Amino acid sequence: MSTTLERPALGTPRKVSASKDSRTLLKSQIRTGWALLAPALLHSGIFIVIPVIAVLVLSLTNYSFGDTWAWVGFGNYADLFRDVDFQASLWHTVLYAIVVIPISMAISLAVAIGLNQKIRGLSFFRTAFYIPTVTATVAVATIWLWIYNPGSGLANGFLSLFGFAPNRWLADPATALPSLMVVGIWQGLGTKVIIYLAALQGVSRDLLESSEIDGANRWQKFANVTWPAIGPVQFFVLITSIVGTFQVFDLVYVMTQGGPGSETRVLVMDIYQNAFQDLKLGYASAETVIMMIVIAVFIGVGRLLQKADAND
Amino acid sequence: MRRGVGLTLLAAALSVVVSSCGNGVIDKSTDGVPPAEATGTLRVLLPSFPPSTKGKEAFQKVVDDFHKTYPKMKVEPDFATYKNLNEKMSTSIAAGIPYDVMVTGVGWVQPFASKNIFEDLGKYGVTPDVIKEKSTPALIPAVTYDKKLYAYPLIADARAVALRKSAFREAGLDPSKPPKSLAELKVAAEKLTKRDKDGNVTRSGFDLASATGFRQSFTTFLASTGTPLYVGGEPNFDNKAGLDTLLWIKSMINNVQPYGQTNAAQQPLVLTGEAAMGIVNGGVDCSADGIGQKNCDDLEFFRFDSGKQIEYVGGDLASIGSRSRHKDAAWGFIQTLTKPTTLDAIAKLNKKIPAYKDASNSPQAKSNPLSQFVADGLVYAVNENEVPANWLEMRGNFDIQLTQAVLGQKDPAKVLHNLAGQSR
Repeated sequence: MSTTLERPALGTPRKVSASKDSRTLLKSQIRTGWALLAPALLHSGIFIVIPVIAVLVLSLTNYSFGDTWAWVGFGNYADLFRDVDFQASLWHTVLYAIVVIPISMAISLAVAIGLNQKIRGLSFFRTAFYIPTVTATVAVATIWLWIYNPGSGLANGFLSLFGFAPNRWLADPATALPSLMVVGIWQGLGTKVIIYLAALQGVSRDLLESSEIDGANRWQKFANVTWPAIGPVQFFVLITSIVGTFQVFDLVYVMTQGGPGSETRVLVMDIYQNAFQDLKLGYASAETVIMMIVIAVFIGVGRLLQKADAND
Repeated sequence: MRRGVGLTLLAAALSVVVSSCGNGVIDKSTDGVPPAEATGTLRVLLPSFPPSTKGKEAFQKVVDDFHKTYPKMKVEPDFATYKNLNEKMSTSIAAGIPYDVMVTGVGWVQPFASKNIFEDLGKYGVTPDVIKEKSTPALIPAVTYDKKLYAYPLIADARAVALRKSAFREAGLDPSKPPKSLAELKVAAEKLTKRDKDGNVTRSGFDLASATGFRQSFTTFLASTGTPLYVGGEPNFDNKAGLDTLLWIKSMINNVQPYGQTNAAQQPLVLTGEAAMGIVNGGVDCSADGIGQKNCDDLEFFRFDSGKQIEYVGGDLASIGSRSRHKDAAWGFIQTLTKPTTLDAIAKLNKKIPAYKDASNSPQAKSNPLSQFVADGLVYAVNENEVPANWLEMRGNFDIQLTQAVLGQKDPAKVLHNLAGQSR
């Protein structure tokens, strides 16, 4: 008895069916993908795309909450570049970012490395460093207002132990912005420390042990193994820090209101002042567009630095 | 086809949501409807009642009184402060639900009237003569824009100068002859200033009450030389009087008073003894709950006079929103607010003077010597006068740029010239 295996006479329809099934599956997957994406897209559309378009359009008008408004083209932008308050605010914001970002990143990394060791009271220290992050900025600012109080504040009290004369921290044009920077650095540590800590715990033990066997010292291990390994996290911290420092507002609003004079006036404060105190919404929108561009430039520079670092 | 149906459904759903939201927030107009029949929500924004239990109780009395005329209208208050007044107004306009009654201060009316946000009160019979007859005439320029009246005064926020008799005697000065001109004030203040061995000021000779900016003090000192800040919306400070005044302030700060000096209670420093002399608001509590009778007895009040005797007077001014759908009810509410008993209550809550005729005989004026003094001095009232339409912007500009001049960061003459150029 012989058995012959014959090709199915109607092989083609089966192929067609398989292909059809595959297309159906693909369509189904696409539909599912869109369905899953829909909430996020809807959210982004309503809360990001529409407001951005609205800001761009408003920035070309002189709208000021009144009944009438007119197109002014790029008039608001031209005015901004002649506006000394805007220039001062931009400069203070950039300066704040340039000082606060690297210092806070460096301190956070150092603290994270410390917290990554097997030391006593680790949980306590981790909690202590994270507390400023979860505390409302208004409360933080109020505490720091007391610390900086020229008469009864902790800062002057502490420095007087070493014979330093009392300082009028927030009322002195020379020390007002640096005083705010100190608070900004302190407040931002918690989040960065947690992120760095997670990254440090992800560094390959094998690589660290290998380098140790090869005779690398602590610094060499850090520079050649740890630092490259946490590169992507560095970039994430950098980006979030840039966005965060450029959006600093509540701290300044509570502690100095932008003063003395305009010594601590920052971009968001200026935008708020123009929009909600001076009621120049069109002008404030143009300022917001400029801020977005500046943040994009800073992120671009950060990206280039990251690439250069990675290539090294 | 199916996509078309889907889109149509989505559009329909959206329009339902939008329209239902709209119906929930925006009332139908009640203008022309008899008060007893009018229904809706009257949104009231006012910094005149503090959001404390006492403030809310006082406001409820106003609402109860208003309900006698408009029994079906709901009143929704927003107890603002002068600090967040603008943002409350702007966000309400942007959100499409503007307030029906808005109480603002001196310097607000012209900018909002120019943007057509406030209603002309002429149609409710408010004229300068009515204000002169029933209210505080000194506040007429503050409620006038383009020869029309856009607000009705509720209370006058008058400021005087106080000195500590004991400090004067200690410094060899006669408290019965207070220094009044800018030159006299400086000489006396320098004598009254106390310092520690390192030269730090421990008691200020004069409190300029300018912790957050010099706009009001500059306006006050300038006016005491007979020079109003603005005349007919035009700047009147880019001149010798303006420069002399600014230079005088500059010579006082960090000399007789450290820049930015204030206390935690936000009290005038002369009342707490932290300054020997200084600007004070329109009332003082001489009871044991306040500064005490002994402290009160140590105070002497006077007015600036560098050629013209003046008293700086701000105030709470009630307006109707031009986009209100309840303008008649809003006017009814303002009429309730301006009843003498209500004004007395507001004045007491805020330690200010009721803006009705003969405020000198008001319960508030009789309650303490400072209120009596400022009430008697309303005839000397000055303020920023007839401000330009961009005054809201100029307020901040003044505070920032005058501070920069006082702290030596910018040339005072250039600052005044710049501010004059920015006023429009």
